[in-house]
Amino acid sequence: MGRIGLRAVTSHAARFVMSVLAVALGVAFVTGTFALRNMLSSTFDEIVGASATADAYVRMPTGTGATDLTSAGAVGKGVPLSSLDAVRATDGVRLANADIQGPVTLVGADGTAVRSTQAPSFALPFHADDPTFTHVEGRGPTNASEVMLERHTLESSGLHIGDRTHLVVLGKATEVTVVGEADFSAPMAGATIVLLDEATMRAAFAPAGTVSSISVHAQPGTSPSELVQRLQAVAPAGTEVVTGDQLRQETHDAIAQQLGFVSTFLLVFAVLALFVGAFIIANTFTMSVRQRMREFALLRAVGASPAQVFGSIVVQAVVVGLVGSAVGVLGGFGLVEGIGALLRRMDMTLSSRVPLSASTILVGLVVGTVVSVAAAALPARRAAVVPPVEAMRDEVTVNERSLHRRGWAGLALVVAGVAAVVVAAVRPDADRAGTLLGLGAAAAVVGVLVVGPIVVPAVVRWLAAPAVAWWRPVGRLARGNVVRNPRRAASTAGALTIGMALVGAAAVLATSTQVSMRHVVVSEMHADYILRTEWPDTVAPEVVDKVKALPGVAAVHGLPFAEAPVEAKGTTTTQGVAGIDPAMLGTVLTPETVEGPAADALAHGQAVVDTTYATDHGLAIGDRITVTGPSATQTLTIGGLYRSVALGAGVVTSPAVLDSLVPVAQQTDTTVTVVAAPGADLGAMRGELTAIVKPYYVVSVMNSDEFVQGLAAQVNQILAILYALLGLSIVIAVLGIVNTLALSVIERTREIGLLRAVGLGRLHLAGTITTESVLTAVCGTVVGLVTGVGLAAALPRVFHDQGLSQLSIPAGSLLSMLALAVAVGVAAAVWPAVRAARLPVLDAVSQE
Amino acid sequence: MHHPVGPRHDGRVTTTAELDPARAADAHPYAIASARGLTKVYGSGEAQVHALRGIDVDLARGELTAIMGPSGSGKSTLMHCLAGLDRPSGGSVVVDGLEVSSLSERRLTKLRRTRIGFIFQAFNLVPTLTAAENITLPLDIARRPVDRGLFDEVVDAVGLRDRLNHKPAELSGGQQQRVACARALVARPSVIFADEPTGNLDSHASGEVLAFLRRSVDLLGQSVVMVTHDPRAASYAHRVLFLADGELVAELTSPTQSSVLATLAQLDGFPKEK
Repeated sequence: MGRIGLRAVTSHAARFVMSVLAVALGVAFVTGTFALRNMLSSTFDEIVGASATADAYVRMPTGTGATDLTSAGAVGKGVPLSSLDAVRATDGVRLANADIQGPVTLVGADGTAVRSTQAPSFALPFHADDPTFTHVEGRGPTNASEVMLERHTLESSGLHIGDRTHLVVLGKATEVTVVGEADFSAPMAGATIVLLDEATMRAAFAPAGTVSSISVHAQPGTSPSELVQRLQAVAPAGTEVVTGDQLRQETHDAIAQQLGFVSTFLLVFAVLALFVGAFIIANTFTMSVRQRMREFALLRAVGASPAQVFGSIVVQAVVVGLVGSAVGVLGGFGLVEGIGALLRRMDMTLSSRVPLSASTILVGLVVGTVVSVAAAALPARRAAVVPPVEAMRDEVTVNERSLHRRGWAGLALVVAGVAAVVVAAVRPDADRAGTLLGLGAAAAVVGVLVVGPIVVPAVVRWLAAPAVAWWRPVGRLARGNVVRNPRRAASTAGALTIGMALVGAAAVLATSTQVSMRHVVVSEMHADYILRTEWPDTVAPEVVDKVKALPGVAAVHGLPFAEAPVEAKGTTTTQGVAGIDPAMLGTVLTPETVEGPAADALAHGQAVVDTTYATDHGLAIGDRITVTGPSATQTLTIGGLYRSVALGAGVVTSPAVLDSLVPVAQQTDTTVTVVAAPGADLGAMRGELTAIVKPYYVVSVMNSDEFVQGLAAQVNQILAILYALLGLSIVIAVLGIVNTLALSVIERTREIGLLRAVGLGRLHLAGTITTESVLTAVCGTVVGLVTGVGLAAALPRVFHDQGLSQLSIPAGSLLSMLALAVAVGVAAAVWPAVRAARLPVLDAVSQE
Repeated sequence: MHHPVGPRHDGRVTTTAELDPARAADAHPYAIASARGLTKVYGSGEAQVHALRGIDVDLARGELTAIMGPSGSGKSTLMHCLAGLDRPSGGSVVVDGLEVSSLSERRLTKLRRTRIGFIFQAFNLVPTLTAAENITLPLDIARRPVDRGLFDEVVDAVGLRDRLNHKPAELSGGQQQRVACARALVARPSVIFADEPTGNLDSHASGEVLAFLRRSVDLLGQSVVMVTHDPRAASYAHRVLFLADGELVAELTSPTQSSVLATLAQLDGFPKEK
């Protein structure tokens, strides 16, 4: 029986091409995700191994670790620099250095900031004896006007040793000379790394005299654990000592967790692609089984058991799955190699280790095969139970089971899903409203797929009405062909429905976010101009002073910000702490809601906290919170509550209080608002502002429109990534349409012959098949978009507090999706239509 | 040596001058379809099969002609070539004054659409269309208006008035063939080709279909060519042509079931030329 299964694959290879392709694409996505994860993980492990080389670390018990390469971290209290001497004097210590790191911007040879997308740009102190990096050329920096550059940084900056350029530290540009080149033993993934002398680093990034950690190297003969024991005696109170291995392991784990989120995110789309692929496989096997019903009946008649018939079909599914996943595994690695090459061209050097692992290959093969077999199981079962007597009959009729049960089940799912979404929308403050929304939406989408065989024909009848009326007989024939097999039509269109539902929801989410942002900016911020940097760059305080001196400027306010541990009622969380001039409230900044005398509270050194934070911690006006900064720890009384999406800080204090907690050098100020005096010449002011910020390289001048557009552009970038990821499932869905059409052309050979015999021309025939294809594609798209948009409409209600206040349905994008569906339908029809038109009329008529 | 078999009405011997396509229509005022030296070869080399070995035939206008012969005699191939469904290997075919064998695919499609009606043995109807839609399908394809009077007349004649909105799957085999007959008639083709139209029917249903075809010839003046291996079906024809091994071997006019059977019995002893 196995042989019969294999023969069926080899003799009808063309029939399974699309199935193989679908499996291959889905598996390529899965394998690619795992391979990318491996590549990134080994890249970061190499970075950690190369940059955290010490044997022991003295650090604060909480916090993110000494080297801090991956996250900025909160600026809690640190390890005092004063303890460095005691550490150095400890027995068995070969050398000990303070770990200081801070964001800087290097100006390259072309006069613009050196930066590669998404990679950090920071400064480290130069220590002549530090084994972490090696000298390549030149010498180390000795004063504030000298820098040493990491090898890749030097390369991508276009600078050479001896060149003079600018370095922006804490928003301030200083002229520096490149005096040397250093090399880390690992590729730094595109990070821009500048080495400064220790005094400059301390002045800039450790103004409070504390650092995140001290790294300690042991003398030969001293084991890391001995070193840790001895250091514990001298370590300042409140600090802890860990071995280098422990720190590296912690960092590795933290990175692995981050990458886990990324790969989970990607896997969602990979699973989606596989799910859509399963539709194609199921359709292929259903049609193949239907055509071969007589063959199966014959096999049964000559003594094959149902299990053997079932097995012969499963063998085919295994072959399709294995071939598809093998191609997919190769494709996945190719994909990751391609991404690696692309990143290298963007100056992001990743680990050169090949991300090929046996487990990844195995996962790819297993996933592809299991999906294929699972999709073929139902049609195989149908073939297995065919009564042998069918072989004797002339016409083999496949009894279509009634759609009633399926209809009711789907309807129940849709109703339950929509009900959950409505409940979430009506009571957005209830616990887990977001989870309820998610589950409800998922149930509704699955429900729509389940009722597909009922919904799709109805929608197609409606969509086809113009074609039926105006394009006789093509419209009627096409409609009949789509509608005649509701299950097949539904699963073909359903593949597109899934992708389009997500596209619709993403589009609604994106435009609603943009509109909400505009709303927030327009209603909460009232400035004529905004000076803006990209985090973690900061607008230097002196810029604010210079702008204040401009004629025609009425008010200039920064929004300095730092993250710090905040304790409330016994729980400590890291919160954003913003320093707001009380004068801003009600003028430049009008938060959505304010409770209590917020401006007065700020003026009197009290704190104003975010409503959500207050609710989460059961805080009310009059309660106290404790903020720990590098400079001091302060207990503040809550003098008011506010809700502002524009500000987004958990705790607001006056700038003076913030300064006393966190040194100005460790605050980040990405936004400075400028209000012009009445009657001032705004055009001229823009020129003056631009002239002021020019020497700071990282600051740009915007009015509120441009500010909103900048935010909108970020949303569009994310949307573009989502579209690209969803694109794959749509490509697979298109393959599904091609597949269904091509197979139904084979199935309908006689009918096509008949039509041609009674005078249907080739163009008419091609037109019929194209119309079928377009109807299917548009139907899938319409159902998907309606589902997605309908469900996403609940988002602004549920996530109102997170700033999604406005619902906006992007009619333009949705229409272009419909246009895309028409194009997709036409493209998918080309091959099947050509095949059908080429069928010789006689073969078709006299086919037995 | 081939013996041209002329139409019953004039009995003239065909001359080569009359094979000129331009004059074909003039040459045979009563012939709706003619073949001259028609050959059809399938395959090549060892596997070569001569389905037709030089057929000369004129089929009369306004008559029901039956083509009979044993399996493999080439009767279906002859019909397919006459109807423009298959291309001859040699010789010429003229249908309603048009030289079919040289027409392009596009012109052939147009010919089938406008001048030829088809009735097949099975799978005659488009399953997604209703009976009424199937009947008007050729007219819809040609974008010609439906002659309501003729439509009603035909529908009543085949007795399908109450079945018009049914899909083929909801009709019996006999009803399906009657729908196919109605479809062939409503488009007013020059000639209807029927390939074993009663092959799948019981005797009652086939009697209905055959009587209807004959009536359409007698009352409407329709020309019908029918391939069959059923002597009873052939007895409804005005003339029966007998094929064996790709050649015309006999003909009967005004056949009866018994005269057809007798001729077939006689042909069983017909000497093979191989």
